[in-house]
Amino acid sequence: MREQPVNQISEKGLRVWRLYGIMQTVLILLLAIGTGVLVYIFDGPWWIYAIAAGAVLLYAYLFIYLFPKIKWLRWRYEVRESEIELQYGIFIVKRTLIPMVRVQHVDTSQGPILRKYNLAGISISTAATNHMIPALVMEEADELRSRISTLARVAEDDV
Amino acid sequence: MMSNTRYKLHWVTAIISVLKTLKEMIIPLVVLVFANGLNDTGKWYLDYLTFIIFGLLIVTFLITGLIKWKRFVYWFEDEELRIEYGLFVKKKRYIPFDRIQSLDYTEGILHRPLNLVKVKVETAGGSASLKAEAELTAITKEEADRIEMEIAEAKKRRQSHLHTADEQPTELLEVEEKVQAKPVFSLAGKDLLILATTSGGIGLILSGAAIFVSQFADLLPLGWMYEEISGFIKYGFLLIALIIFLVLLVVWGISVAMTFFAYYGFTVMLENDDIVITRGLIEKKRATVPLNRVQSVRIVENPFRQLFGYANVVIDNAGGGLGEGAVINLFPLVKKKEIDGPLKEIFPDLITKDPSGKIPNRGKRHYYRIDYLWMLPAIAALTYFFFPYGLFSFLIIPVVVLFGLWQHRSAAYEIADNQLTLRFRRFSLQTAYMTKKRIQSIEMKQNYFHRKNSVATISARVKSGVGAFDAQVRHMEEKEAERILEWYEPSSSERKGEESGMV
Repeated sequence: MREQPVNQISEKGLRVWRLYGIMQTVLILLLAIGTGVLVYIFDGPWWIYAIAAGAVLLYAYLFIYLFPKIKWLRWRYEVRESEIELQYGIFIVKRTLIPMVRVQHVDTSQGPILRKYNLAGISISTAATNHMIPALVMEEADELRSRISTLARVAEDDV
Repeated sequence: MMSNTRYKLHWVTAIISVLKTLKEMIIPLVVLVFANGLNDTGKWYLDYLTFIIFGLLIVTFLITGLIKWKRFVYWFEDEELRIEYGLFVKKKRYIPFDRIQSLDYTEGILHRPLNLVKVKVETAGGSASLKAEAELTAITKEEADRIEMEIAEAKKRRQSHLHTADEQPTELLEVEEKVQAKPVFSLAGKDLLILATTSGGIGLILSGAAIFVSQFADLLPLGWMYEEISGFIKYGFLLIALIIFLVLLVVWGISVAMTFFAYYGFTVMLENDDIVITRGLIEKKRATVPLNRVQSVRIVENPFRQLFGYANVVIDNAGGGLGEGAVINLFPLVKKKEIDGPLKEIFPDLITKDPSGKIPNRGKRHYYRIDYLWMLPAIAALTYFFFPYGLFSFLIIPVVVLFGLWQHRSAAYEIADNQLTLRFRRFSLQTAYMTKKRIQSIEMKQNYFHRKNSVATISARVKSGVGAFDAQVRHMEEKEAERILEWYEPSSSERKGEESGMV
């Protein structure tokens, strides 16, 4: 069995994912309330309320609690001298290997929510593919970006 | 020796540009004509309004075409190909000779009587822009040769410059001197015909037949339901089916003819370090792919052709845009047994042995199990809504399972030196040969059932044009997938190198 990459995503990342989940759940809740109002007006059957409520609860459980947790537990990365290794995925665990010499550029990006938590995402591009580490502490992300770009500068192949 | 004379394109360029605009405008124009129709209002200018508009448009196109042609100039300066063009806004484009990867030639119908060519300049930075870096719509062949000469000379100058700087022997230069074009592959008469008749169009004809058959099947319940008008409906459906069938036949015929014309005289030559492909009867094309831009070699066997022992070989090109340039048909049709010779001539280091690593029996069921997810609800729904006939949908299960088993049996992989060979079937069987230094990233994927069964999917991506080609062998032995990851991992191979170095 191959060992996992060593580094984990910052714990604040988990909080951000939960926040995303809450925001989505609010949307679903609004939809459910809308449905409920319509059912009330048109005198629909009672079980529609039950389904709507159930859907909201299930969504909340999955997207606020379960999925972020699994996602966070699963996410691992490691930046070594000559390659980057990632492991992620909720249902399908993916392990990606990107040799340093293939890396063409590295970007960090930060939306308003990530900024509030002082986090940043880092995306690694090769000539053909894009890879993303979703939430790192800002300083760590910056440090990683510069480290990857110095390591990758050795690349010589014409692709 | 660097003269700054500015060259113009041939005047045919203006006509070509008009025709091109017309081609793009044809649908709105047709709509316009039909929408207006021919009505008699008594005023001639209203009756012929569409024609007047049409005429005016053509005149405008012609004038803009002429101006565009007049404005387009190119010249050589400072080791660069410089182009200046633009109708209202003057645009300049300077392309350093170093960056030019290849010149691709096309001779259309308008080019041929005047001995002209269209030249596409492909550069190394193909990833950013989708179009060719520059296009000279029509120049004489002598002019094309001059461009090629300028580029070659510039490269030579640079090289000799480098050599004197490095104080290296000029041996390399002399080798470069001999330009020899070695023919490697050509499509002979019979193969060309087979290619034309089996290319793509066959799918159309099959779907046509399927529609034809399905119409008959539908007739049975219909005839029973509408007894009175059944005769008429039957007749109507038959007619429609027949018309569709005929249309498809014609479309297929056209596609055969087009493939025939496009691949007529297909030859692959090796010129120094470039693969040069020429083809075409009416429109002659000549494309150049530098060998070091080739990212992977793939043998594709469509089941229909596989039956007759035929395959085709494509290469993924790092240059080129989205469409044509990215995946290049190296041998459009070739006997499977005869691939090795010409392929080895182009890529001497390629290991073309059949991959020997097979997928374990444990992986078998993963090839079709996931399909139950969509199959069972679909079957349930069909059975419920179309009760007696819906039961036929159960037949899909053996089809899907057999297809999965077929994919399982076809898949294979092999690591040999620096080359990874992955063989897999989507519908056609593909064997992708990729070297370590051309693979952009490798991914190993496992879902819950994979982990329980210790199997995994491996996916290797190579650059293909601006995108990527993803070669995937699914549900292979977990250990073997990890071995591929390890083979690919630079640090682990370095470690191995050190160990063997110490011994």
